[in-house]
Amino acid sequence: MLMSVLFANSSGNVLLERFHSVPGEERLHWRSFLVKLGTDNLNGARDDELFVASHKSVYIVYTVIGDIWVFTVGKDEYDELTLVEVLHAITSSVKDICKKAPSERVFLDKYGKVCLGLDEIFSQGILEHTDKDRVRRLTRLRPLVE
Amino acid sequence: MASIHPPPKKDDDREDDSEYSPFYGIEKGAVLQEARVFNDPQLDARRCAQVITKLLYLINQGETFTKTEETEVFFAVTKLFQSKEVGLRRMVYLMIKEIAPSSDEVIIVTSSLMKDMNSKTDLYRANSIRVLCRITDGGLLGQIERYLKQAVVDKNPVVSSAALVSGIHLLQTNPDIVKRWSNEVQEAVQSKASLVQFHALALLHQIRQNDRLAVSKLVTSLTRGSVRSPLAQCLLIRYTSQVIKESATNTQTGDRPFYDYLEGCLRHKTDMVTLEAARAVTELSGVTSRELTPAITVLQLFLSSSKPVLRFAAVRTLNKVAMTHPLAVTNCNIDMESLISDQNRSIATLAITTLLKTGNESSVDRLMKQITNFMSDIADEFKIVVVEAIRSLCLKFPQKYRTLMNFLSSILREEGGFDYKKAIVDSILILIKEIPDAKESGLVHLCEFIEDCEFTYLSTQILHLLGLEGPKTSDPSKYIRYIYNRVILENATVRASAVTALAKFGLTIDALRPRVLVLLRRCFYDNDDEVRDRATLYVETLAEDDILKQLKNSLFGDLDVPLANLEASLQSYNASEIPFDLSTVSRELKPEQSVEKKAPTSKKAGKDFGTMVATNGALPSGTSAPDTYEKLLSSIPEFLGFGKLFKSSAPVELTEAETEYSVNAIKHVYLRHVIFQFNCTNTIAEQLLEKVSVVIDSSDAEDFEEVFSKHVESLPYNVPGQAFVAFRKPEGVCSVGKFSNTLKFHVNEVDPTTGEKEDEGYEDEYQLEDLEVTAPDYIVKVGVSNFKNAWEALDPEFERVNEYGLGVRENLQDTFQAVVTILGMQPCEGTDVLASNARSHTSLLAGEFIGDIQVLVRLSLGIDAQKQVAMKLAVRAEDQSVSDAIHEIIANA
Repeated sequence: MLMSVLFANSSGNVLLERFHSVPGEERLHWRSFLVKLGTDNLNGARDDELFVASHKSVYIVYTVIGDIWVFTVGKDEYDELTLVEVLHAITSSVKDICKKAPSERVFLDKYGKVCLGLDEIFSQGILEHTDKDRVRRLTRLRPLVE
Repeated sequence: MASIHPPPKKDDDREDDSEYSPFYGIEKGAVLQEARVFNDPQLDARRCAQVITKLLYLINQGETFTKTEETEVFFAVTKLFQSKEVGLRRMVYLMIKEIAPSSDEVIIVTSSLMKDMNSKTDLYRANSIRVLCRITDGGLLGQIERYLKQAVVDKNPVVSSAALVSGIHLLQTNPDIVKRWSNEVQEAVQSKASLVQFHALALLHQIRQNDRLAVSKLVTSLTRGSVRSPLAQCLLIRYTSQVIKESATNTQTGDRPFYDYLEGCLRHKTDMVTLEAARAVTELSGVTSRELTPAITVLQLFLSSSKPVLRFAAVRTLNKVAMTHPLAVTNCNIDMESLISDQNRSIATLAITTLLKTGNESSVDRLMKQITNFMSDIADEFKIVVVEAIRSLCLKFPQKYRTLMNFLSSILREEGGFDYKKAIVDSILILIKEIPDAKESGLVHLCEFIEDCEFTYLSTQILHLLGLEGPKTSDPSKYIRYIYNRVILENATVRASAVTALAKFGLTIDALRPRVLVLLRRCFYDNDDEVRDRATLYVETLAEDDILKQLKNSLFGDLDVPLANLEASLQSYNASEIPFDLSTVSRELKPEQSVEKKAPTSKKAGKDFGTMVATNGALPSGTSAPDTYEKLLSSIPEFLGFGKLFKSSAPVELTEAETEYSVNAIKHVYLRHVIFQFNCTNTIAEQLLEKVSVVIDSSDAEDFEEVFSKHVESLPYNVPGQAFVAFRKPEGVCSVGKFSNTLKFHVNEVDPTTGEKEDEGYEDEYQLEDLEVTAPDYIVKVGVSNFKNAWEALDPEFERVNEYGLGVRENLQDTFQAVVTILGMQPCEGTDVLASNARSHTSLLAGEFIGDIQVLVRLSLGIDAQKQVAMKLAVRAEDQSVSDAIHEIIANA
């Protein structure tokens, strides 16, 4: 199960989050845990540089693109290796939507499109599509190119 | 997506994040107002999309909507289906999923979605499937099932994936419907589209997960064919490893089914698949070194990968392997050592803990040097893991205790939170206990630590230990200064502990006593009552030799009774002329739960203390069953000469549930007697029972002779009472037998409202179930702290070993529990914990046989591929007949 996908700015403010099977009272802990991971490791990191951590039986793979931190949290079959696929699908789509590694402003400008992209990439904790070109077409309801 | 607010000019002050956000000043009320544009007859698609974005932003920021607001937004959004603008339609789909309308509202949107579901546009179909499956209930699903099945095998992979992923979700709520798609999903598994194959495989496995044969067939067919997607390949590896676990190795060739497939995957071009396969191989049960080697080689290569995730995955797997096959991982040690300086702290910690598990004695010093540098820049949670690994290493190589103890003491002086410090102190305490040579240096380290310890809990724990162990060291006087410093500098709790520790030195070492007395007298003026009281007590007793001896026992002597039992006995002790007698405290370990589970709440518990125990087992909180039974039994004069109660059994039901009369029995075992306590309840409101007794036929219990019977005078409706029957039995013999029981009583009809008798009544009787006295009734659970020492202290002459075949069993865990229950003994040293898939297990059991005879058991169980369980039982006891009796118990079980 993909438990969470969370976007934050470089000050640690959450911009967009998706949780699956995580009770409301635990989300707060996850937010602060992830933001702390970002603060400790992502300042000065290169774009798309991957970071990995685990917390009990839960795995976290995260990165930074432009001014945006992106975290993926998973357990069971969504271990660190699968999370890399999920994270790659997300970051490549977000960069595609924003035309580059986004600043916070650009990310927020494209907020609606990003939400649509995420809706194509995973559905309630299950990875659905990974290819950025496909995701782009799907968010515009354009048929796939054969 | 267009911006919601005009973008700021380029020369804006970009440091102000809030100004910078296009959602600056966004407010729920205003957005809900804006949502009215959804109702406009002439829809402005662009503006509507902007408002939906704002709503999404609010939801993502944790903003909640009231039910009314949700309903309004939902109804308004449904109007947008009129728009032909595809971008807006895509947002509408998302918005409906986000709002998740209630079941009575869903109907508004179903017709639009059903229309989309039949649309010629593939993507309308895909999206409407996802939305419908998210918001509808089982009833509607039945109606659209036909479309969903078609969608699973749709030629467009997006439609197919939408149906399959929805199926995975629906399987949780409507399994029956999804299970009917089996054929279609099977077909989708063969799809050329890689993600469709991935989703189909996941769904098919979930549908068939309880059918081993089907899963095995699925794995067999797919491992032969070509699975395109690496993600699907990883799933297949997991399913394969599950099938391997459940199937037997070919005993003739030693080949493991599907091993070749896993080995093939080790050479896959995708890292993810390679790692998954390596992981699967290392997790095979009973993996041989021949099987393990290629997997370890693959993992070793990943240790030097440039990608941190691959390094992490590899080191995480090797860390697990090191627990079971440390030698196999030794080859990776050089690569692993270079990971100690890895920037990723998780990787570094895993590398260190792996090295600590695999390292040999000669590498300890070098390793500790490397770890010292590493410890300063990791978080407490990682440090605790390292400390625990060091503790295990020290126990493995006791000769290295100096290096490891010095390391622990140096990190103890550094900054850290309570959990971290506690982990270090616990480790030092364990090392002191297990490695005698380490004791003195360990104590000195702990003394230095309490000089500057901010945690009261740890200080008192260490002071207690100093009081116990300090006087036994070669130079006890050196500890006095450290302890007395606590009396001067610490809070009251620590001061009180320090006073006790000082007193223990004075009690044990005559030469130090005068000096200790001087120090203790200084505590007479302490601010705290407890400290003053303790000081006064110790000074008074240290001055008088005869009291001193007694105190010595109470402070140093092993009480030899469980503290919880002692506490309960003390609580029930009434201050009187008769002094409290420690020998009356039960030594049987209390069960964790109340003696009986069936405590019908409808029955009114009697006010009488004993009655409560007797009837329902609803014990008053804080009172243990043995203590309460003892009190109850000692209130009956005839039982006073029976001596100390050895054991009371759990209640045995002698009647079916919901019968007219409810009776259960408790067996109280004494050295020469057994008392049966019958807890009787009359459940008929119209009856009053009088002179209620239990008549026992003991012809099947030859060793037993009835000596006393006590009836219940009156048994009104729902007010419980107890009858007793006592038997004499030979001392020192494990007498067993079966007792047939009949409840005899005088019945009177009564008016339930007034309770008055309505007639003369008549004699009646009621047949009860039989009751048996068996060998486990003569054993109590008494654990030992160090099994090995206790085992070796018993005469090997009296050891009896035998092997038993237990036949086919479901798993080892249940079999183990059954054996322990039959023996009625206490598992020691955590050996009651089995892994769920354990193939073999050894447990250490301890108990006491009647007559204060210690008995220990080494119990080994093994299960083979055909689920045949074999058991080896080695028993040692202080008496040979007891060793034999234990084997008889098993043989007769």
